[in-house]
Amino acid sequence: MTPLALLGVVSSAIFSGTSLLYATLGEIVGERSGVVNLGLEGVLLVSAAAGFAASAASGTPYLGILVAMIAGALMNLILGYLVVSRRANQLASGLALMFFGFGLSAWIGRDYVGAKITGLPRLTLPGLAGLPTLYGSLLRFDPLIYLVLPTAALVWWVLFRTRWGLSLRAVGEAPDTAFAAGRNPGRIRYRALLAGGLLAGLGAAHLSIAYAMNWTEYMTAGRGFIAIALVIFSKWHPLRAIVGALLFSGAVAFQLLLQSSGVQVSPFLLNTVPYLLTLGVLIIWGGRRRNAAPASLGRVYQGAE
Amino acid sequence: MSSRDRGRAWPRGLQAALRYVAMAVLALALFAVILLLAGKDPIQAYRDIFTSTLGSAYGLSEVFVTMTPLLLTALAVALPSRLGLINVGGEGQLYLGALFATWGALRFSALPAWLLLPLMIVLGMIGGALWALPAGYLRARGIVNETITTLLLNVVAPSIVAYFVFGFWHSPMDTNKTANFAAAARLPTLGGTRINLSLIFGVVLLALFWYVMARTRWGLEMRAIGGNPGAARRSGIPVARYLVGVMMAAGALAGLAGMAQVSGYYGVLLVNFSRGLGYMGFLVSWLAGGTPLGIVVTSFVVAVILTGGNLLQLTGDVPYAVINILLATTLFVVLARPSLPRRRKVA
Amino acid sequence: MKKKNVLSSLAVLATAALVLAACAPALTPQPLAPTPLAPTSLPAEATAAPTAVPTEAGPCLIIGALYGGPVNDAGYNQAMHESVMAIKQNIDCVEIIEAENVPEEAGATSTMENMIQQGAKMIIATAFNHQYPALELSKKYPDVIFEHAGGWEMGPNFANFFGNPPDTWYLMGKAAGMMTKSNKLGFVAAFPLGWTSTFINAFELGAQSVNPEAETTVAYTFAWGDAAKEADATNSLINQGADVITMHVDSPATVISTAESRGVHSIGFQSLAAQQFAPQHWISGTGYTLGDKLTWLASTVLDGTWQPIFLRCGFQDGCMAFAPYGPEVPQEVKDAVEQAKTDIAAGSLVVFAGPIVDQEGNTKVAEGETLSADAMGSVDWFVKGVNGSPK
Repeated sequence: MTPLALLGVVSSAIFSGTSLLYATLGEIVGERSGVVNLGLEGVLLVSAAAGFAASAASGTPYLGILVAMIAGALMNLILGYLVVSRRANQLASGLALMFFGFGLSAWIGRDYVGAKITGLPRLTLPGLAGLPTLYGSLLRFDPLIYLVLPTAALVWWVLFRTRWGLSLRAVGEAPDTAFAAGRNPGRIRYRALLAGGLLAGLGAAHLSIAYAMNWTEYMTAGRGFIAIALVIFSKWHPLRAIVGALLFSGAVAFQLLLQSSGVQVSPFLLNTVPYLLTLGVLIIWGGRRRNAAPASLGRVYQGAE
Repeated sequence: MSSRDRGRAWPRGLQAALRYVAMAVLALALFAVILLLAGKDPIQAYRDIFTSTLGSAYGLSEVFVTMTPLLLTALAVALPSRLGLINVGGEGQLYLGALFATWGALRFSALPAWLLLPLMIVLGMIGGALWALPAGYLRARGIVNETITTLLLNVVAPSIVAYFVFGFWHSPMDTNKTANFAAAARLPTLGGTRINLSLIFGVVLLALFWYVMARTRWGLEMRAIGGNPGAARRSGIPVARYLVGVMMAAGALAGLAGMAQVSGYYGVLLVNFSRGLGYMGFLVSWLAGGTPLGIVVTSFVVAVILTGGNLLQLTGDVPYAVINILLATTLFVVLARPSLPRRRKVA
Repeated sequence: MKKKNVLSSLAVLATAALVLAACAPALTPQPLAPTPLAPTSLPAEATAAPTAVPTEAGPCLIIGALYGGPVNDAGYNQAMHESVMAIKQNIDCVEIIEAENVPEEAGATSTMENMIQQGAKMIIATAFNHQYPALELSKKYPDVIFEHAGGWEMGPNFANFFGNPPDTWYLMGKAAGMMTKSNKLGFVAAFPLGWTSTFINAFELGAQSVNPEAETTVAYTFAWGDAAKEADATNSLINQGADVITMHVDSPATVISTAESRGVHSIGFQSLAAQQFAPQHWISGTGYTLGDKLTWLASTVLDGTWQPIFLRCGFQDGCMAFAPYGPEVPQEVKDAVEQAKTDIAAGSLVVFAGPIVDQEGNTKVAEGETLSADAMGSVDWFVKGVNGSPK
């Protein structure tokens, strides 16, 4: 386990964890307003397919990123319509959205499988340019990766330091109280889902445009559910989500390193660790009020109209 | 405010039926629009779906094949829902049931079918029940919501199955699956079709479910818990025991579905063999309002949609996955609960 | 709440717009580099009679082909698709029905049934895990011919065909061994399969023949087509120092793109279309070119002389082809590989000729013996010099 190898693990973790972090941030925003999106998997798929298709068709990845973000927002708006305007069950709506995403993404992406796109440029931070090439090549990241930490900080700041964020969290805790205080819970949830969808789309764009540079059906392979677990693991807090995302993707990268070192650890058992860990921390928290989810999460807001 | 309530003029049953028809038409119309936008012929598409499912004996048998696991996974959701429990864990419980049943099939492959199959059924149910146990227990103790527990365990289950397949059960020639099951380990099929015995299990269990809920004391107590857990506890009903027991029963049902899939349908344990069967069951149960008859009808309709996608792929030149869009639009329409023109929504 | 209604109608409209944008047949990309074979990806449609029909009405033979993945994946499925389409190119009156992304095992049965009900008299099942459902159906429909790619079962109307990669892997290994500067080669594999291990062994043996220091490290993705895992594996191998990457997964696209973006050499497999992903650092690659053989099989079905044959053919018979060399490959490497090609074709060089020693030092193939084709399918060991676990 040379330091280079370990640095390689960190580098891989950062690479593959970025899309996960964006998706998690998006889900945090939505869940903080009280809406759980079980269809996140479908949202990510549609965004990934749309973004990849746009990149392939237009020749520029930046258009693809934009399209992916818009696609994510639109998918989330479907959920918003069902859950807010029609007051449907959140879990069922989310699952329906997931199946919708399976089908729509397959259709969008169908003609673009195996298409070649220009990925995002890979840059090293100015200060690190002088490192020996072996180390340097590990630290060449694309712009979306550099943006993810500021984005997490931005999400944190908006949620916890602005009035809009305060309203959002209030709706997530007690929509009736918020309504009595003059807020419009429905509109706030829509906006939260819109923002969340943009972030999820960003994550999906990174996956298909910058990381895998490809599109195949069911490409996200459960990342949506990983993000949902990660939201719980990070206690609905954007900054803790950074650690969680690094841990989750670091486990995968570490397992690959172990493989080649001949260490016989089953990659499947290693895969289960993040979720069992999440379950573990939930049990430890034991339903104490302080660590609970936003109180109205999952409940349909009946409104008072 | 006296307004003429025109809605009451129609009999309730007819109202409900009309509503279902309207929703079906709306869903089909939505999908037709999508097909049109893509340059496909929706009439031809629907005709293909019809001929490949209801239009031939083979097609109809395939519909039943697809419907079979849905009956059980939907029941696995409907049963705990009477207690107010939300079991999204059908997917994971299904995998564990398949895992346990496969162990039985591989270990005892020398046994005759009349011994081996019941053994596998029991194993499958045990596997599923064990997987649901943590969720029930943690919920009963008030530690973790069962929705979250089952969701997390759902993701863990396929990895555990993969661990066993890769670690112990696969041969060098096979990729991500075990060896084919011995003939004695396969659930018998009906007629010359691929419909296996678990269809009968599903129907029987649904009838049993109805009976238990409507006619037994257990059903009464379960409904009491679902209605008002506090009051139920005060009147002496052992709520915790029901929470755990019913979750385990639900897990057993999903586990049985898993066993039936690997034994009856596939004849081999394939890693990642379920593409959302558990979640599909959740949606079926939800759409059907958790009623046994509703589950039968809804799973039939969903199965028609899913089976029709097969031919659509060949003749309509759309990827098979696109049939999920039709499924989803149907769900969206039901979720959005559009009202018929005559009925007014009372605030 | 007027605003909410506006918002919700907006959402519905926006969704419609999204779907519209998705499905509008606007920009059709040309994702494939021109290959020497069949026309590029357009899955055939089971519509009415084909365009060029001889004297009779209707096609002379309807063939149903199923693929486990998408036919434009620049990988295995595309290679199979092009081989199948070659039948139509060579025999004009044939009609081909195709189905992509057909699920494994029992999920494939209804697709094949539907094809047969549409009149298919020959079924070509190209995915590994379509073997048993195809075998079952062959018993149900004794007058339909079933050909499966890459399996081992045989029956009165069920047979098997495939290319013969190990020799080509040896040649690619030679090129890799000469081009590597770090002496570390990376191999991204889907599953620890017998054949995969054989390919890895052949690759390493080829590299060792010109560079005894060369080591191959294996990373498994445990999926035939999971792009994200492939990117993970490729990055991990590169981070461990590999400067030539190759793979045995369905589509080489992601692995090669990732290698190219990290400035590392790559060698392709499955389909020759992979080269477009690595314009600069590409070394070479191999792909299945089974068009002629499939055409021959179809012609035997047509004239009634079809016999169940276990068909395996290598690059000598044109079943596997080599991609052009990349711009960074020096002449001496090309010469060495070409020479080895000739030697193998002539029989003077046998890849798995003993003595061959595994990772623990045991002799797996004794001096004077060779590894048989049957044994290659169940190899569960790696030659010395390979890092990783074969099981």
